[in-house]
Amino acid sequence: MSATDLAILGVAGGLLAVSWFASRAKTTAALKIGSKQFANTLMFFVAIFAAIGLLEALVTPAQIQSVLGSGQGVFAPLMAALVGGLAAGPPAAVYPLGKYLLAQHASTAAVGTLLIAWVAVGTISLPAEIRFFGARFALTRWGATIVMSVLAGLAMGWVL
Amino acid sequence: MTRLRKWLGQNWLVVLVAFGYGWAAVRRPETAILALRIGARTFVDTLPTLVAVFVFVGLLAVWIEQRFIVRHLGEGSGLKGMAIGAGLGTLLHGPLIGVFPLLEGLLKKGARPAVVIAIVSTWAIKLPMIPLELQLFGWKFTLVREGLLFISAFALAPLIELAIGKHWIERFRDAGDAEVGAR
Repeated sequence: MSATDLAILGVAGGLLAVSWFASRAKTTAALKIGSKQFANTLMFFVAIFAAIGLLEALVTPAQIQSVLGSGQGVFAPLMAALVGGLAAGPPAAVYPLGKYLLAQHASTAAVGTLLIAWVAVGTISLPAEIRFFGARFALTRWGATIVMSVLAGLAMGWVL
Repeated sequence: MTRLRKWLGQNWLVVLVAFGYGWAAVRRPETAILALRIGARTFVDTLPTLVAVFVFVGLLAVWIEQRFIVRHLGEGSGLKGMAIGAGLGTLLHGPLIGVFPLLEGLLKKGARPAVVIAIVSTWAIKLPMIPLELQLFGWKFTLVREGLLFISAFALAPLIELAIGKHWIERFRDAGDAEVGAR
């Protein structure tokens, strides 16, 4: 467990303690609501994490690299947005990949787009997003974020 | 038949993932095992966050008054509401799906869609990752990228809110009222 996890659990525990002190009845109600929702969504979370595992095992950084190629040209940022958006790896994994691509003379725009899309787009969490917020919201946000990551990447290429 | 369709509608992801693993197990068994390992590890890594999130969901439901959320994050909260959202998103941690239940709770309590979109947008800013980015790409790259991510929330939020339309929020409001009434 990381320090951040401990901090978050500590905050949750502290708030629960304060709540318990203020009103036992309300705290019991809060725990009931929380655990009921947790139980309702648990199966779904398990499926999502299984999907993340599958995608991460099937799509390796080496493959992403071969798809992106040299990462140059007009379409490189667009490609980077799609590949980055589909990837399900942890945020930490994309930084070394981006560094490597830059060393291979990929454009700043393409690498910037990849780094943003990797975290911001979240294709793998679309099923969860649709479940909580509906398809209209999830797909609109998905599309808008892909466009945003390309624009931000292009802006980075222009500024840097 | 309709029952099967309903079940599939609710559990299509489970079915899809099961097929994916079945295919991988037959074609590339070592990949299937690796996938299971990665999935299990990610789940275990996220579990503390999930537990905390559902504690927050429960506490939000009983302690925070609708009035409060409406005033600070509601329709009239304007730029301030979005700024609070963008700040919250920057601080959030763990996979986005873990935070969805909390965002749903905020919407039910009267938060404006744009505020929730701002949270989701700046969630991509990972504070603990910034040292790594600085080390690999330098301060200029990092500053421009994180800055653009933060600013983009203020463009994406109203745009997406406009695109999903005014009626989208009603499902949360009705559900919220019913829940409050039942309790």
